[in-house]
Amino acid sequence: MFDSLKEKLGKFKDDVEEEADEPEPDAEPEDAAVESDGDAADAPAADASEEPDDAGDPEVNPKGDSLTERAKLFASGQAKITEAELEEPLEQLEFALLEGDVEMSVARDIVEQLREELVGTARAQVKTGEIVVEEAIGNAMLDVIDVGGMDFDEEIAAHEMPITIIFTGVNGVGKTTTIAKLGKYLDDRGYDVVLANGDTYRAGANEQLQEHADTLDLKLISHEQGGDPAAVIYDAVEYAEANEVDVVLGDTAGRLHTADDLMAQLEKIDRVVGPDMTIFADEAVAGQDATHRAKQFNDAAEIDGVVLTKADADSQGGAAISIAEVTGKPILFLGTGQGYDDLETFDPEVIVERLTE
Amino acid sequence: MVLDDLGSSLRGSLDQLRGKSRLDEEDVEDIVKEIQRSLLQADVSVDLVMDLSEDIRQRALDEEPPGGTSARDHVLRIVYEELVDLVGESTDLPLEDQTIMLAGLQGSGKTTTAAKMAWWFSKKGLRPGVIQTDTFRPGAYDQAKQMAERAEVEFYGEPDNDNPVEIAEHGMEELSDVDVLIVDTAGRHALEETLIDELEQIESVVEPDRNLLVLDAAIGQGAKEQADRFDDAVGIDGVTITKLDGTAKGGGALAAVDRTDSSIAFLGTGEEVQDIERFEPDGFISRLLGMGDLKQLTERVERAMEETGQDEDDWDPESMMDGEFTLHDMRKQMEAMNNMGPLSQVMDMIPGLGGGLKDQLPDDAMDVTQERMRDFEVIMDSMTDDELQNPRSISKSQIERIARGSGKEEEQIRELLEQHKMMDRMMDQFSGMGDGDMQRMMKQMGGGGGGGGGLGGMGPFGD
Repeated sequence: MFDSLKEKLGKFKDDVEEEADEPEPDAEPEDAAVESDGDAADAPAADASEEPDDAGDPEVNPKGDSLTERAKLFASGQAKITEAELEEPLEQLEFALLEGDVEMSVARDIVEQLREELVGTARAQVKTGEIVVEEAIGNAMLDVIDVGGMDFDEEIAAHEMPITIIFTGVNGVGKTTTIAKLGKYLDDRGYDVVLANGDTYRAGANEQLQEHADTLDLKLISHEQGGDPAAVIYDAVEYAEANEVDVVLGDTAGRLHTADDLMAQLEKIDRVVGPDMTIFADEAVAGQDATHRAKQFNDAAEIDGVVLTKADADSQGGAAISIAEVTGKPILFLGTGQGYDDLETFDPEVIVERLTE
Repeated sequence: MVLDDLGSSLRGSLDQLRGKSRLDEEDVEDIVKEIQRSLLQADVSVDLVMDLSEDIRQRALDEEPPGGTSARDHVLRIVYEELVDLVGESTDLPLEDQTIMLAGLQGSGKTTTAAKMAWWFSKKGLRPGVIQTDTFRPGAYDQAKQMAERAEVEFYGEPDNDNPVEIAEHGMEELSDVDVLIVDTAGRHALEETLIDELEQIESVVEPDRNLLVLDAAIGQGAKEQADRFDDAVGIDGVTITKLDGTAKGGGALAAVDRTDSSIAFLGTGEEVQDIERFEPDGFISRLLGMGDLKQLTERVERAMEETGQDEDDWDPESMMDGEFTLHDMRKQMEAMNNMGPLSQVMDMIPGLGGGLKDQLPDDAMDVTQERMRDFEVIMDSMTDDELQNPRSISKSQIERIARGSGKEEEQIRELLEQHKMMDRMMDQFSGMGDGDMQRMMKQMGGGGGGGGGLGGMGPFGD
């Protein structure tokens, strides 16, 4: 995950640094002057002090621009990166983000943020590394991924038992597999876990969760196919209370956010069970639709966190960035394979570092 | 809403061309940008979008619009032609003995698709069977078996065998007398080498005539890599897009057909075995661009009408438009709707009805739920022909009698009559409707008709 996005971001960095290197001598001086005046009125003073240092140091001035040349450029406003110059690399970046499955409006937000940060900065600053493009990208990304919110482990530890967690999402994203993995995760950390199969619709759902429960030696509460999903999870909560179980993991049937009756059912489960935590599962391979459905699920039964599955499937990872930005809810885990231990804690800073290193 | 998000901005910039007969470079640039945006939001791969938009730009500037064609129609035709050129016709599926193997990512919907396809072939008069070779995912056997039962087709699987190749072999023998054999496989992704090897082994045993790649409509830019890898491994002859009843556009499939040099075979549009359609380039592209899909709707309507019973010649849909909307008509409509699938799904296919109008309808109008429709049917069964023909003349004593006869509350009978009156009024307004009337109707229906949209252009391409 994220590999190709990383490559693209690297390209953006190079583009900008190149722009900084080559101040396009044939550009219209007036234009540039207007741009920089409007966009960064606060910068000139700082620039002025920067310039001489810079020019005097041959190492940071590999092109060997003479002092007079640089002074000329500065006077004509060319010492700053202008909006016009950034246009091309920024457009490239937007496409790169889209290519990484970042949702369109989110991609624009990132691009805008970078534009604001970079326009008007002195070329010298970029050249000398005072403005690090990598860092700018990193900050823009971190800003959209790192939405704060809860820390899963802490939340579990601090909560009064039993704690009920319900999983929602569209069909086939991997809710049931995630529940099995998370069941093991919690079991490994010394919590007693009971699984509840609230997917009373899909053929084979009971059998699927039962097999996971058997393998992991966890208790499963299930009703017959066609039963009331809220009732199953409710039963599991009662069971947990009676047997001093710590965590109830409740599965729900996959549903498309366009199925009004099923979304209403989800609202009902949310109301009747009143879960302590609702986790939305979606797949990392999802494209532009990811934010759309995350929003709809969040509206029906407010989510507290997100698990991104199939992150091992050569996915672009843009869904992660987009869902976090749109719902304002943190990504908690990545599903990274078909084994029970293939569950990775999601740390925004680590991810952004990986992307921009 | 499926159609409106995307379509509106594209439609907007196209509308700016209205009345123009020539395009200048700026017009073309605007349109191309909007088309790029629409396609990217539909998950079409970035490379493809760039190639397409370059071709569209070129042609829009170079080609003279044929005489009498507006600039807008000219551009639309180019866009449309380029896209049709890319997706092609639906995968050729002769109605004869054959073996089809399904492959794809985990959770893309292979098992459901297998049952749906089997159902589809059985409707074409062939005898299909499904072999389930997914030994990995718990519950896969049970799911496949139940789905095959729902589709009423033959099934083979071995819940306790964990060797998919063996199961495939046995299945070939056991189901040797079926006409169409559909082999379901475990989900896997491009990077799982051992699983890709396994797929190759299954393929060498079943020797399929066709391999179909099953793709979730929501898949993003990764579709390209997945298609490449599966194509390398077993060769892909066609693509099936699933979960198109959601809001995802399925643009990933474009990259898949482009990379594998194949075409799209089926579309999955719901959770039931009947929710499968043969791919139709017109409809798919209209949807991709967010511009409505009249053609597909017409087909659905026709099919639904057929199933509703051709033998009753006395029902004349035309009469509805003449203002005589009887309970007979209403019942036919309800049946037809039932056969078409959920109302909201049908609404989405009508250009312009997708977003704005649907939200503006009073809750009541959309609230003709399946259950209520069934109640209505029972009630109508207890009515005389005369009552069905002239519902407005039904008296209080008649309502009492109908209630006793149908075992329903009198209140429900009144509800039915109320509903009929409302639909009657709507029918009146629909017939002979111009733009102004539409506005008025929207106002009447509450919500203030804000935001435009509406039934503006009825055809996929407006005007």
